[in-house]
Amino acid sequence: MSSKGLAKAEDIYANRAGRVRELKAEGKKIMGYVCAYPPLEMVTAMDYAPIRVIGSMDQPITKADTQVASIICPMLRSMLDLGMKGKADFFEGFIGAHTCDCTEKFCHLYQYNVQFPYYHFLDVPHIAHKASFGFMKAGFQLFQKTLEAHTGRKLDPDRLKEEVKKHNAQRALVRELYALRKQDPPLLSGSENLQIMLSLLSIPIEEGSGMLKDIIAEVKARKDGPKKKAARLLLWGSPLTETSIIDMIESLNANVVMDDICTGTRHFWHDVEMTSDPLDGLAKRYLDDLKCPRTFRETTSSFEEDQEVRFGYIKDYAKEWNVNGVILQSMKYCDTHGYEVPAIKAYFDRLGIPSLYLEHEYTMVALAPLKTRVEAFIEMIS
Amino acid sequence: MAEEKKKRAITRLESSALVRPLVNKMYMEGTLAGMEERPVAWSMVNWWEGDIIMRAMGVTPVYPENYGTVCAALGIAQKYMGVSVAEGFPTHLCGYAQNTIGYTTEMKREGKVPEGAPMGGMAQPTFMLSSEGYCDARFKWFQSLRQFWNIPVWTLPFPHPAYTDTSLQDVHKVNVEYMAVELQGFIAFLENLLKKKLDRDKLETMLDNQEKVLKVWWEINELRKAKPCPMHARDFWTMMVPCYYLAYDPETLTVYQQVYNEVKARVDNGIGAIPDEKYRLIFAELPPWHSLGFFDKLAERGWNFATESIGYHPPPPMELNGGSDLLYRIARWTYWQYINTRYRAAKMGYPAVGAAQPFYNWAVEYKIDGILTHPLVTCRTATFWLTHWMNVLRDKLDIPGMSIQGDIVDLTVFDAATALNQAPAFEESMDHFRKVRKSKGLDW
Repeated sequence: MSSKGLAKAEDIYANRAGRVRELKAEGKKIMGYVCAYPPLEMVTAMDYAPIRVIGSMDQPITKADTQVASIICPMLRSMLDLGMKGKADFFEGFIGAHTCDCTEKFCHLYQYNVQFPYYHFLDVPHIAHKASFGFMKAGFQLFQKTLEAHTGRKLDPDRLKEEVKKHNAQRALVRELYALRKQDPPLLSGSENLQIMLSLLSIPIEEGSGMLKDIIAEVKARKDGPKKKAARLLLWGSPLTETSIIDMIESLNANVVMDDICTGTRHFWHDVEMTSDPLDGLAKRYLDDLKCPRTFRETTSSFEEDQEVRFGYIKDYAKEWNVNGVILQSMKYCDTHGYEVPAIKAYFDRLGIPSLYLEHEYTMVALAPLKTRVEAFIEMIS
Repeated sequence: MAEEKKKRAITRLESSALVRPLVNKMYMEGTLAGMEERPVAWSMVNWWEGDIIMRAMGVTPVYPENYGTVCAALGIAQKYMGVSVAEGFPTHLCGYAQNTIGYTTEMKREGKVPEGAPMGGMAQPTFMLSSEGYCDARFKWFQSLRQFWNIPVWTLPFPHPAYTDTSLQDVHKVNVEYMAVELQGFIAFLENLLKKKLDRDKLETMLDNQEKVLKVWWEINELRKAKPCPMHARDFWTMMVPCYYLAYDPETLTVYQQVYNEVKARVDNGIGAIPDEKYRLIFAELPPWHSLGFFDKLAERGWNFATESIGYHPPPPMELNGGSDLLYRIARWTYWQYINTRYRAAKMGYPAVGAAQPFYNWAVEYKIDGILTHPLVTCRTATFWLTHWMNVLRDKLDIPGMSIQGDIVDLTVFDAATALNQAPAFEESMDHFRKVRKSKGLDW
């Protein structure tokens, strides 16, 4: 791939599968995974390029309808559909995870239909009690065992520590990139940012970190960044695999300057603590530090404290990125996000930050009615 | 009255009537505990993981899921769902959850059990007990109720191992141990909240009873393999309630023993649950609680539902090892309920078919002619696998399937008329595949 910096991210975003096929042709071993929970450090330590399995909003679901009902998460249905159409044939294996109930089931159904040579399913607990960390670690040990059995070689603990450092370094670069949107106007648009994140999920870690360094230098020097607009928005919710919703928002008088989605900050934000047994640091990072509504947070004595435990980190984002509005978005049939809506809305109300909830169908065509609502919201907060 | 009875094609078990007083007692206990300001927990179905511990600590559990079925059956759920939507919750969330959210909103508004709430309503909880088991709603639902109640929520763990992992003994060991350690944490939580110690002797007595209840309930369902099937799914759905909510209670054991005797007598005398059993079917998964009379129409056509609702079936006798510690015993049963069908498949030499295993096993053992699935608009857990199960049964065992759209709570989406119109064609299909199976050497 000859392009660099933002152009490279744009190219990869436009043809994700193409880049993965190139990598395979170059001799890279490709491992698919779902959600943000599989410990990618272990995957790269075994010399695999981990590539996140995602769906596509602009391709109609046809084959998956022979396997699963239409009231199931449309992104998962799309992922299954693409797999059944041979569009995931570059994966040597697939790492599933019990992140939400539908994802758990999707993983097994995906494997049943696509039949990857290697399949491992991580049982991630929904609670983060003290004993849950031991359980998570035991799950990683089992994962290590099946990886070793598949590859015929041992996972080297020192190599794993090196990989942890490598991934942490990329996370630091991602945080640096996000910081470029703190100023007004931001140096990078929300759409560009999502393109970069989706590209990072589609290439090896070294290539991604190199691309990030180029992008950060390019963006710092650019003169053609986004214009100042009335609204600085934070985007919360279920995963976005295309920029269409952000494109729609940014076509109006708003910049999306921060996010809390799992193809954005949730995936990259937190480092893995360096522990003597790296699996301890990994268990803590993936079970507790990674914030997703799929994990039940310990309740406290009042609803306000409970909200703080669940959403306090987003308040910090809102403050640091100086947002004046929040878009809460979720694709239809996403229960874990759906249950969250009234509580998080009430939280932002209490903070005095206006918010708008959008439910979408994970298709490009259904965005027009949402645009009218977003437009009214921006006018209201401006 | 007599004439109306004659019209019903399903011969319900007489002993199933004994369940009603148990359920009434359960609701009465909840109401009384609330009135007397004794501890009440709103609890999810947790597959026996936490109930008896609460009971042994003097807590009265109230079950909003079950209350959802009651409200659905009485047509009141629709109103509560509307209230939930007005509170900002999406319409696709679990119907039972929407029912509870609406009920709770009304309860807070009125400052008491809402006017017109059936069965005396649900008393205000002291705490809520969630479970990771089977679906996300089981913990997200109570978490979302925190905006109404400033009370703690405890969540019980429930490992979901991969189908491929479950043959590994070390996975079982880790999973059961984790659950047992967490139960110790749950006890500490309760002791701290209630300022009293757990009576372990009482817990053991309850556990002994629970294990006996599970055994009899399992044996009853085994008897349903007989031809004609002596007990219809409608009786199962009525009688599963005490198994899940009142397994600690000696009265439940007595009732189940009477049910066993009646079902056994039917088997011994060749009596079926419907007069002329032409087809034996599986119902997957949860029924339309608001329209159960629909099954009588199918029974008139000779459709007998011999088994159903895998998530609510009792586990077979325990095959996992692990000592006699009370908490490990409790954990093992919950875990065993989740994984037992894979053990059975291995034992019987069935092929491993992943998530379809329970239905594969049942189809062979109950000599099933067809599967009727009920995709639910508000329940992804009960809906996700339905098409896959139909595909596997068709591909592996030449058993056809039919689907009828509906919901557990929302009665507006259930289309019984269309299903009945499709029935003759599906019967032809079942007849056809019966011949195909025979031609392939299968014995039904």
